[in-house]
Amino acid sequence: MSFLKKAAVAGFGACLIATFTGAASAQQFPVRPVQVVVPYAAGGGTDLSARIMADTIEKYLGQTMVVRNQPGGGGSIGTSVVLHSRADGYTLGMGAQGPLAMLPHYGGIDYSLDEVEFLALMGRNLMVIASCRGAPFGNAEEFLTHAKANPGAIRVGNSGAGGANHIAMEGFASAADIKVRSMPFQGSSAAVTACVGGHIDAVVASPAEVLPQVQAGNIKPVLVMEESRIEQFPDMPTAIEAGVDFTWSSWKGIIAPKGLPEDVRLKLADALEKTFQDETFIQRMNELGEFIDYRPGPAYEELARRDSGIAETVIRDLGMYGMNK
Amino acid sequence: MDVLQYIIPVFAPEVLWVIALGTLGGIVIGALPGLTATMGVALLIPLTFGMAPILGLNMLIGIYIGGIYGGCISSILVRTPGTPSSAATVLDGYPLAQKGMAGKALGMATIASFVGGLIAAIVLATLAPQLASLALAFGPAEYFALALFGLAIIASLSGDLLKGAIAGMLGVLLSCVGADPISGAARYTFGITGFASGFSFTPALIGLFALSEVFVQIEKMLNERVEKLKISGIWPSRKDLRESTGAMLRGSFIGTIIGIVPGTGSGTASWISYNEARRASKTPEKFGTGHMPGVAATESANNAVCASALIPLLALGIPGDVVTAVLMGGLMIQGLAPGPMLFQERPDIIVGIFAGTFIATVFMFIFGMLGIRLFTKILSVPKNILTISIVVFCFIGSYAINLNVADLYTMIGFGVLGYFMQKFGFSQAALCIALILGPMAESNLRLGLMSANDNLALFFSGPITITFMVLTVLSLLWPLYQNWKARTRERSA
Repeated sequence: MSFLKKAAVAGFGACLIATFTGAASAQQFPVRPVQVVVPYAAGGGTDLSARIMADTIEKYLGQTMVVRNQPGGGGSIGTSVVLHSRADGYTLGMGAQGPLAMLPHYGGIDYSLDEVEFLALMGRNLMVIASCRGAPFGNAEEFLTHAKANPGAIRVGNSGAGGANHIAMEGFASAADIKVRSMPFQGSSAAVTACVGGHIDAVVASPAEVLPQVQAGNIKPVLVMEESRIEQFPDMPTAIEAGVDFTWSSWKGIIAPKGLPEDVRLKLADALEKTFQDETFIQRMNELGEFIDYRPGPAYEELARRDSGIAETVIRDLGMYGMNK
Repeated sequence: MDVLQYIIPVFAPEVLWVIALGTLGGIVIGALPGLTATMGVALLIPLTFGMAPILGLNMLIGIYIGGIYGGCISSILVRTPGTPSSAATVLDGYPLAQKGMAGKALGMATIASFVGGLIAAIVLATLAPQLASLALAFGPAEYFALALFGLAIIASLSGDLLKGAIAGMLGVLLSCVGADPISGAARYTFGITGFASGFSFTPALIGLFALSEVFVQIEKMLNERVEKLKISGIWPSRKDLRESTGAMLRGSFIGTIIGIVPGTGSGTASWISYNEARRASKTPEKFGTGHMPGVAATESANNAVCASALIPLLALGIPGDVVTAVLMGGLMIQGLAPGPMLFQERPDIIVGIFAGTFIATVFMFIFGMLGIRLFTKILSVPKNILTISIVVFCFIGSYAINLNVADLYTMIGFGVLGYFMQKFGFSQAALCIALILGPMAESNLRLGLMSANDNLALFFSGPITITFMVLTVLSLLWPLYQNWKARTRERSA
């Protein structure tokens, strides 16, 4: 038998086996690695979370999970890829607040919340306002008084124009009936750096992003947009305690395109639930500064729809609604 | 001193082995276009979950240092910047390779990377806490002044001032595509989602330098017989080294300073260093034609950035560039929050990282020097096959970076643009610098204006801002002065 013939026979055999296992797969999803699309570049918070998840979920899913980064367009490119992929459970995505609840309001986005199958909420990034080096205020009360006395004077750094932190700050300002000057930086790290350097007056970021600088005494925590006080800063009041009825956090979970087969959806939701309650997973995520808040699909969807509604109001007020249509 | 007690564990065989592996892997990642040091570090972070911090972190640092170095290999051999930080190395490295001195150019690049890395590592180990505060001195006005100074390079870099300016302006214009940094509105995307974040940088560079050269080579092959390249030696001659010492030291210094400033990185450092080397040289006209100091300047600067970008990260918890931002994630997963507390709480980690940086730099040098003969084998591939392979790599590399088809259009578009620029004598380097610094200048100008209530005085206050503004004016006047000097010399002759 020549080499070519051997190769042909082997190839044909492989095809047969593939067809056979393919038929069997209906009963036992997943038969091949599951892919999770991260709509941001490798190395960011969402990416590392996905990688820690992929590392843990294997034992609950019985298959490896592969992380694929498709960054661009503030997360809309990767999210669109997930929502337009085949609904077989093999392509999942990290469903983040920005691309799901905000970007559609700016326009130019080819998906909507109605196309999303929400599988499980992984965690939330709480929003903290901190006062920078040299700022004329150091706590919530002083911040609000100063803002009322000097409308539009407080320069608040955020992670990027129209992003979660920007919208959170503007939403807070409108609830508090104050005016601030939002300054968009290229990412949270740049905003926090400018804050430590005293180039701006305040910054809105996650607790993990400001914690080392607060510990070093460079900046001061002002308030958190959460219902109750948080572990890292027990002395910092919530917005509600400061008299502003506003809560906000940015979140991420696992999404898929609508129309998954029911057994596949159940299997995935179950594996995700176990993963997000796994001790090693939680410990690793905490070390990364991520706040784990597992919620099942329906609760995740509720949160996304609530935030999408609030974001729409804020974005309309800012005059940014539909600007990219 | 108990520093010694912290250093000894780093020399354990498994630590050395992991650093060696990381550095070697980094060199390969860096040399392949489309895989950058940032991606290498990010993709391998999960591997460090189970490792002891000293092992895991030093492996990542090895990848970082190897990755930034590795970029020069493809830049020199096939004019394809393996990482954006080696784009400036193309200018003299590739012409050297074309003259048959690929081995020596790589040797010089390796030595320069080693010197740059070593000098910055010494600064890191001795002056980190003192220098870190420089990172905080940079606000919008300072960044804008730095970007402007960098953009002024265009004037002295391109022989023809007018054509250089046109290329630079075109670059600034092209960098406007994508989301507006202040309002978030999409600009010039024509509704194509793929361009929502603007032209991706790496695909643009691959097109600009590599694909355009492929077109040039194809044209050459049609018209003339291609002779095989000879490769002679890997150690630069004593004369080369003597000529390049100044450029190398200056590059190491520039790289160290730029590395500390957050938000800038090895790309910016290598361009500024290249320009300073050219300005200080007695024979500036040789730059761009295959001149050893050109390679020494860029490669010493970009590898100096590696160690010095760790300075603000470790001392302040503020990453000095993109790769160290990813490294920060790696540290935090180990339960180590970088910042001033880390120096007090975990001196073993700090010293371990310092030592690891030195060791990785040494490994980089050894692997680099040993590998040169292997790397240069690429050039013995017949030119027609090599050219086609480069095209394939251009496509794979551009797509692999974001898995975005729009990036392929970017690469092709910049390839065609680069070809015509080369043909009609417009500087591709000027366009490249503008692509790096245009967005930095724009967003910081606007942030500065926002912060100062539209008062331009902000951009002329503060020692750093004023220094860069003065340097900008000087570097714009420099070529005029040289022209004038040359003319008077001609007249008196």
